[in-house]
Amino acid sequence: MNEKKINILIVDDENGLRLGAQRLLQDEGYEVETAENGETGINLGTSKNFDVAVIDLKMPDVDGLDVLKEIKSKYPNTICFIATAFASYDTAIQSTRLGAFGYIPKPFTPEELIYQIELGVKQRELIIESDRLKKEREENLLEIAYEKSRLNTIIKSISDGVLVINRVGEVVYFNYAALKFLNICELKIGDAAILKLPEKILNLITKIFAAETILLKTFTTQIELLPNNELVIEAACTPVPHPDGNIAGVVIVISNITQFKQIEQIKSQFVSMVAHELKTPLAAVQGFLNIMLDDTIPLDKEKEKDYLARSVIRLNGLKDLVNDLLDISKIELKAKQREIEEIHIQDIIHNTIQLLELELKKKNISIDTTIEQDLPIIKADQNEITRMITNLLSNAIKYNKENGKIFIDALTKKNYVSIRIKDTGIGMKPEETSELFNEFYRAKNEKTRGISGTGLGLTIVKRIVDSYHGKVEVESEYNNGTTFIINLPINNN
Amino acid sequence: MILIAIIDDDPDILDASSLVLKSKGYDVITANNPSDGYKIVKEKKPNLIILDVMMDEPDDGFFLAQKFRREKIKTPILMYTSVSKAIGLDFGKSEIVPVDDFVEKPISPDELVKKVEALLHKVEEKR
Repeated sequence: MNEKKINILIVDDENGLRLGAQRLLQDEGYEVETAENGETGINLGTSKNFDVAVIDLKMPDVDGLDVLKEIKSKYPNTICFIATAFASYDTAIQSTRLGAFGYIPKPFTPEELIYQIELGVKQRELIIESDRLKKEREENLLEIAYEKSRLNTIIKSISDGVLVINRVGEVVYFNYAALKFLNICELKIGDAAILKLPEKILNLITKIFAAETILLKTFTTQIELLPNNELVIEAACTPVPHPDGNIAGVVIVISNITQFKQIEQIKSQFVSMVAHELKTPLAAVQGFLNIMLDDTIPLDKEKEKDYLARSVIRLNGLKDLVNDLLDISKIELKAKQREIEEIHIQDIIHNTIQLLELELKKKNISIDTTIEQDLPIIKADQNEITRMITNLLSNAIKYNKENGKIFIDALTKKNYVSIRIKDTGIGMKPEETSELFNEFYRAKNEKTRGISGTGLGLTIVKRIVDSYHGKVEVESEYNNGTTFIINLPINNN
Repeated sequence: MILIAIIDDDPDILDASSLVLKSKGYDVITANNPSDGYKIVKEKKPNLIILDVMMDEPDDGFFLAQKFRREKIKTPILMYTSVSKAIGLDFGKSEIVPVDDFVEKPISPDELVKKVEALLHKVEEKR
């Protein structure tokens, strides 16, 4: 406003006054335009936004009040003065009503005119500033409204449930995830929390409200909404402080921890199974040792030696079990950090057969191996594939009959290398086959009595095969033998 | 002569327990699975049954104990347990486990004999 010159319009049919005022105001540094009659005045005054207009009341063509009216309707912020020699109370009221800022009685002195113009200019500046502020405020409000709706959208789309309670215990905000996790069908803003929320959450809210000072921490609780860990949620309640120092309410964030709980359950089941498996051989060995230490129980040398030998067998089994458990945890770690190299399956098969030669001889079992010429090389961790073949082959020996046979085939089947290990052993019943890959499962019947094992061998096989996105199949006929088929994908990348 | 039946799928436990009880002058018969166990109890009518809680399947021992009670076999049962704490089952003498006492594995000969004597004594008193 300072850089731009102030525009003034003078509408007056009196030449002398008009030109005199123009010269006077131009000397004061204003930019001045003039109109010698009402019509020109209207045209000029509505053609651009003048800062100030001085309008003569009595003009031959158009009345000054009409000029005022036209200018004001186009540019309400133009400061208009009515100049007249016929000042009357009525016209004063009328012109003020039409939006005139002031009244300049004719004749006026240059000082009077300049004084009035300066007042008008000040008013104009105030009006423009207040307009600017008003506009700014409106823009801010729009922004806030936009921000609010954006926040709303964000909260509505997060996967956790969000629910806010005010200090009188009413629900003041919630998203749909909150309804879903709380298993509530209907909830309205203003509903009493006590009627809708689970008791465990209400207890936390009560605790927060009951505290003497605001506890700036989050209280959490876990709730099993559906039995058997089918829906478990965790609710985190945090107080919201009010500027007045009290609590404004409580924000409750509800997350679905069902999967976490299920994994926890599987883990703890596994741990108790492991504990049982570890404790069984220990109990046997300790039982023997307790007898040997007890002086009241007579024990001959031969029996004592038998007990010691059996203890060693149980401890060996325990050692195998620990090794198998370590292998399982290694497979899980190794899926991330295994040593992948090119592997010739036929070499691994031959090495494994050599390794188990003693066992084969003990039961006089013969092996028939058929390996496709140019069997594709696969990329895998040598130790894992060796472990897989070893477990399957040693099972084929353990559960075989005396003088039995084992057939090993390896061939290409579409995108897989298919390894088949078939024995002529005791076989399995269908209900046993279905449980085969479960941890610690061992088929127990009169035929398997006396065969030792950890119950983890096939679990390890399955985990290795799964980790390479392969498939393992089993076919078995009770009393006639079992066939395991491993399909490993040929990965050329 | 007092006859005790031991039913457990672990041959080493069977052997060790038998030896302990035999050394104290009891007669012992054994079975390493629930169905044989049921058979020897029906046939030989022992004075006491020692039963492992976990045989082939978890709960096998429980089921066998319940079966005996359903068939009005009132012979006292001493139950062997090994993982009661690990699996969160804190055994008490509850209705659903119709046994008379528990022995936690590994078995100390002293404790086993004491519990056996106590149970047999109780039966004696009832008569």
